[in-house]
Amino acid sequence: MKAFHLAVLSLFVASIVCAQAPRDAATPAQQKISWAEAAIKAHPDKSQPYNDLALAYVQRVRESADPSYYLQAEAALRKSFQITPDNLEGQKVRLMISLGRGEFAEALSLAKALNKRTPDDVLLYGFIADAAIALGDYREAEAAAQWMLDMRPGNVPGLLRGATLRRLYGDVRGAKDFFSQAYQQMAPTQTEELAWTLTQMADLQLSTGDIDGAEQLLRSAVQQFPGYYATIEGLAKVQTARQHYSEAVDLLRQRNQSFPTATSRYALAQALERAGQSTEADVAYRDFVTSARALIDASDNANAELISYYLGRGQNPIEALRIARLEIAGRHDVSTLDAYAWALCVNAQYGGAQKQIAAALAVGVREARFFYHAGVIATRLHDDASAARYFKQSIELNPSSDNAAAAREALQQLVPTSAAARGEK
Amino acid sequence: MNRKILSFLFLIGCLAGPAHLRAQQNATDDLIKSLQARVKRYPEDHAGYAALGAAYLQKGRETADAADYELAKGALEKSLDLVSNDPSAAFATTQMAVLCMVEHRFEDALAWSQKALALGSGDPSPWAIAGDALADLGDYKGAAGAYTRLKSAYGSEDEKLAYSYQRDSRMSFLRFVAGDTQGAIELMRSAVRTAIETHMPTENIAWSQYQLGEELFLAGETNVAENAYLASLENCPGYYRALAGLAKVRVSQGRYLDGVKLYNQAIAKVPYPEYAAALGDIYRQLGQLDDAKKQYDLVEFIAYLGRINRQIHNRDLALFYADHDVKLSESLALARNELEVRRDIYTWDVLAWSLLKNEKLQEANEAISQALEQGTKDPQLFFHAGMIYEKLGNFLKAQEYLRRALEMNPEFHVTYAETARQALDHINQRQSQVSAREVGNAH
Repeated sequence: MKAFHLAVLSLFVASIVCAQAPRDAATPAQQKISWAEAAIKAHPDKSQPYNDLALAYVQRVRESADPSYYLQAEAALRKSFQITPDNLEGQKVRLMISLGRGEFAEALSLAKALNKRTPDDVLLYGFIADAAIALGDYREAEAAAQWMLDMRPGNVPGLLRGATLRRLYGDVRGAKDFFSQAYQQMAPTQTEELAWTLTQMADLQLSTGDIDGAEQLLRSAVQQFPGYYATIEGLAKVQTARQHYSEAVDLLRQRNQSFPTATSRYALAQALERAGQSTEADVAYRDFVTSARALIDASDNANAELISYYLGRGQNPIEALRIARLEIAGRHDVSTLDAYAWALCVNAQYGGAQKQIAAALAVGVREARFFYHAGVIATRLHDDASAARYFKQSIELNPSSDNAAAAREALQQLVPTSAAARGEK
Repeated sequence: MNRKILSFLFLIGCLAGPAHLRAQQNATDDLIKSLQARVKRYPEDHAGYAALGAAYLQKGRETADAADYELAKGALEKSLDLVSNDPSAAFATTQMAVLCMVEHRFEDALAWSQKALALGSGDPSPWAIAGDALADLGDYKGAAGAYTRLKSAYGSEDEKLAYSYQRDSRMSFLRFVAGDTQGAIELMRSAVRTAIETHMPTENIAWSQYQLGEELFLAGETNVAENAYLASLENCPGYYRALAGLAKVRVSQGRYLDGVKLYNQAIAKVPYPEYAAALGDIYRQLGQLDDAKKQYDLVEFIAYLGRINRQIHNRDLALFYADHDVKLSESLALARNELEVRRDIYTWDVLAWSLLKNEKLQEANEAISQALEQGTKDPQLFFHAGMIYEKLGNFLKAQEYLRRALEMNPEFHVTYAETARQALDHINQRQSQVSAREVGNAH
């Protein structure tokens, strides 16, 4: 994936021509639901309209964050399979539901089995890539994404997976390029997909400290798909990066008005705390803990946030480590490796922590938080030169990250022997 | 300009894709046979069904036989039953959009093309159909936006040139509609060059040359149009569109018998109602009223032949009735029905013409304003506008439009060019009389 050599397209989102305005007030998924229902009426004996309906419900989950649509999707799939048992299109929707619910190992297994049966189906490689990325098997993910792009150069699902992998490999520029290429191919009617892509691009910008660029992209996303929860979450991150905590609170309150997740509850609690609204923050943290703990053993959990909570505000590093171990047993993606490393570090298991953070950074990922954690772990291991290097990387990568202030302070406190590593005279 | 030309455009747009679909007319049957064998052997081969559907569409284009479109639909549905949610389904999905265009279901065509785009296959071809559908729906700005996106950063140089051909030939039509006839001609010349340089199928080259001829004819450049039609026929002997185009030229040159011969040849290939109507008009001009009647009967026969024909030829029939002052209320009903599904300038024009013939002058005035809104320079539009304004008593505007029609092409139609001249003379005489009276009164 690192070796992709495609023409670099500029990221002038605003210049993209809108060929046609959306012709209907319904969202794309709602339109598809209507079409599929009409097709079912016309052809109740065919499985494909039921698959289309199931797919539309899955897309509706992404539009609304309401997971109950999965149940409707599954009901449609049951009818589809009654008509044509195990048909491929139905199986693919089933796979999408598994991925959406975070059942990555099962999804990977099913995707591989279907891929063996139908090796020319591009999306099946995409599902393999999705599951493998989530599980941290980046080689497998890369191979699958490369297949997609080789089979159909420039296909959008392939480009989006490629962009995700490039970001994980630390190739921010390459990731932007792929996102941009994918975006430029989307039709103006694909409003949610456009907004989703812009939101991803914004997150990428924000990870490199480009707050204005991120906000501009998010504003475009809001225009494309007003009220999109993912975009609102992104805007809240922008306000947090600007230290405009009250604005972040407002945005997250707005976001949580419908179908809040444990993750979005955590974000709100953090924003409230930063905004100095301690009473409300206490309530919000309690809400978060209640909802997140109910999901600890579920596949679609908020364990990453729970680990972070117990390592900080929750002051229960042992519980954090317990949850981190549960997570690392099932997946080795960079975020899980980092969370585990940080839990080990706070529990004073520095050797183990160093091993895990090294595994995460070895992938090539460039995230300010990871570098900060690596710096702290190195400090605890008295490797001041490495620590200084990591802190500097964290600050340089994103001067406005959550960890930037702490990284600066830690860098200042390092003993003079690391001055050389800091580049001081 | 007849909008069937665009129907042909979108077909070319899609069929210029996979090499096996570039089969020439005489090879289409062989292609269908081989694809039938392929899907029989591999019944789960969605790509095979998609290719078969496209081949039936090609066959339908060659024969204008609606049965081929039904077969195409069956094959494409089968393909999409097998695989529909994957970039590899984009071709079948796009072909469904093409089929909808053929059947004049423009909203459906737009929806299918958007569906194809949403699959994100990396192939921009669905933009062509989206643009065509939008143009037929009267959204010319949207169509231009869609055509602009007919390009790809991927693929070979030939493929990129093919997209540039698709873009230029379509944008040419939009330029024409926007009133930039010379710009349209230049773009079409460029499309012809690209078609030749990239060794496109001869039929595609022939179509481009024919289309260039159409634009030139409308611009009044009859001799150059003649060359374009002849070049088209040289590339693709017996090509019915070029035969009909050349027939128009011959009629405008007063060579009616040559026109008769050419129209008969075209109708023998593909019996389009507009060809039969034009041939009937020549017979009428020649005083051969029985022959004219036979052709006029044929117009209705073709237009009512089967479900698809009734959908496709609504507007042709509305125009035919209005042109020949028969079944005027039916003409109006057809035109109004057409406007429900097609809101381009030519549908407004036919509606305006039919309203005039039904003595609904204010509505005709509104409809012709819609038809003229884009600034299109087409003698037929100007003629209709002139006649409507004359009836409305707006002689200045009537004079202007009739004059413009005749200036563009003094022989733009076998009978209506003369009608326009007579109307213009009548208005001029009337105005002279009024002026004389005014001078008299002043003394």
